[in-house]
Amino acid sequence: MIHLGKNTKSTIIAKGISAGKSNGNYRGLVKISKRATNSRNFSQCDSLLMGDKCGSHTFPYIEVKNNSSKVEHEATTSKIGEDQIFYCNQRGIGTEAAIALIVNGYCKDVLNQLPMEFAVEAQKLLEISLEGSVG
Amino acid sequence: MLQIKNLKAGIEDNQILKGINLEVKAGEVHAIMGPNGSGKSTLSAVIAGNEDYEVEGGNITFNGEDLLELNPEERAHNGVFLSFQYPVEIPGISVSNFIKTSISEKRKAQGLDPIPTKDLLKMMREKMELLNIKKGYLSRNMNEGFSGGEKKRNEIFQMAMLEPKLAILDETDSGLDIDALRIVANGVNKLKSADNATIVITHYQRLLDYIVPDFVHVLYNGRIIKSGGAELAHKLEEKGYDWITKEADKQ
Repeated sequence: MIHLGKNTKSTIIAKGISAGKSNGNYRGLVKISKRATNSRNFSQCDSLLMGDKCGSHTFPYIEVKNNSSKVEHEATTSKIGEDQIFYCNQRGIGTEAAIALIVNGYCKDVLNQLPMEFAVEAQKLLEISLEGSVG
Repeated sequence: MLQIKNLKAGIEDNQILKGINLEVKAGEVHAIMGPNGSGKSTLSAVIAGNEDYEVEGGNITFNGEDLLELNPEERAHNGVFLSFQYPVEIPGISVSNFIKTSISEKRKAQGLDPIPTKDLLKMMREKMELLNIKKGYLSRNMNEGFSGGEKKRNEIFQMAMLEPKLAILDETDSGLDIDALRIVANGVNKLKSADNATIVITHYQRLLDYIVPDFVHVLYNGRIIKSGGAELAHKLEEKGYDWITKEADKQ
């Protein structure tokens, strides 16, 4: 994200899901040039871990060339908990469906921004690629 | 409806339930009381099928079926409902979406088509009225940012929507102020019928002033050491657990 003009605003929302033995990294540069005074950026990096052999890392790069701009960064890591799955199970939702539900809830901020047809596809894709990832 | 025979269960090597016998018939309300650490929550977790607990012996039958053979969602489909002591948050999933999924999965298991959205919304409105739940609640995310009272009310709302045969309320009164307690208890009472049964797990007599039990059981050290009618709960409130537990310790 490169800010050139003054009073410019940007938001970055990154959502990562790591399953199995995978590692997810976020690397993002937010650059605010000298002339981009009073600019703002907000970055949020969330990661969802499935299982105990995966990991997630966040490397924000921030370059600010003036002192009137504000740059914020926030990162969270969460895990699909056994207790969340059991809660869904108890309400009659099987484990696979429960994971799909929790993952969809997690991705909602991003999926909501996509065009309708694309969001449906993305949702299905997520379900398929995460099948059987929590034993 | 529910028969528990000599149930022994624990977590890892630690035996918590040491031979529970309990029979619950349709239309009955049972209260299970007992001091901390006596195994009350373990019992509810084992009935619901929480895999953290290992069943070491005994059996549980529910409407003639061996409950221990079923996984948690199958138990739920058969009509077992557990109101959690600590309801779990599911970020990004609205209450209405969660309940819709829950009901559709149950209907799917029974070979039925999903409930039409119109009927579902109508039912939700009715049940919300029953529990004094405000509009706007359905679009909030499951238990996310809910107060203690709202979480418990949400449990009872789901119970109202799922219409279980057996509802287990695990310390539903903890964390509720007196008004919320009354609303929740009224809700439970209104949902009571001749075909369903309720097990109320609680520390305090207070809840039982509103939900009057047919039977009260005292659980101590993994066993039911005393059973009686509603008057037993009053006696416990007055005298505490000591007089019964001492007797049990002697044996």
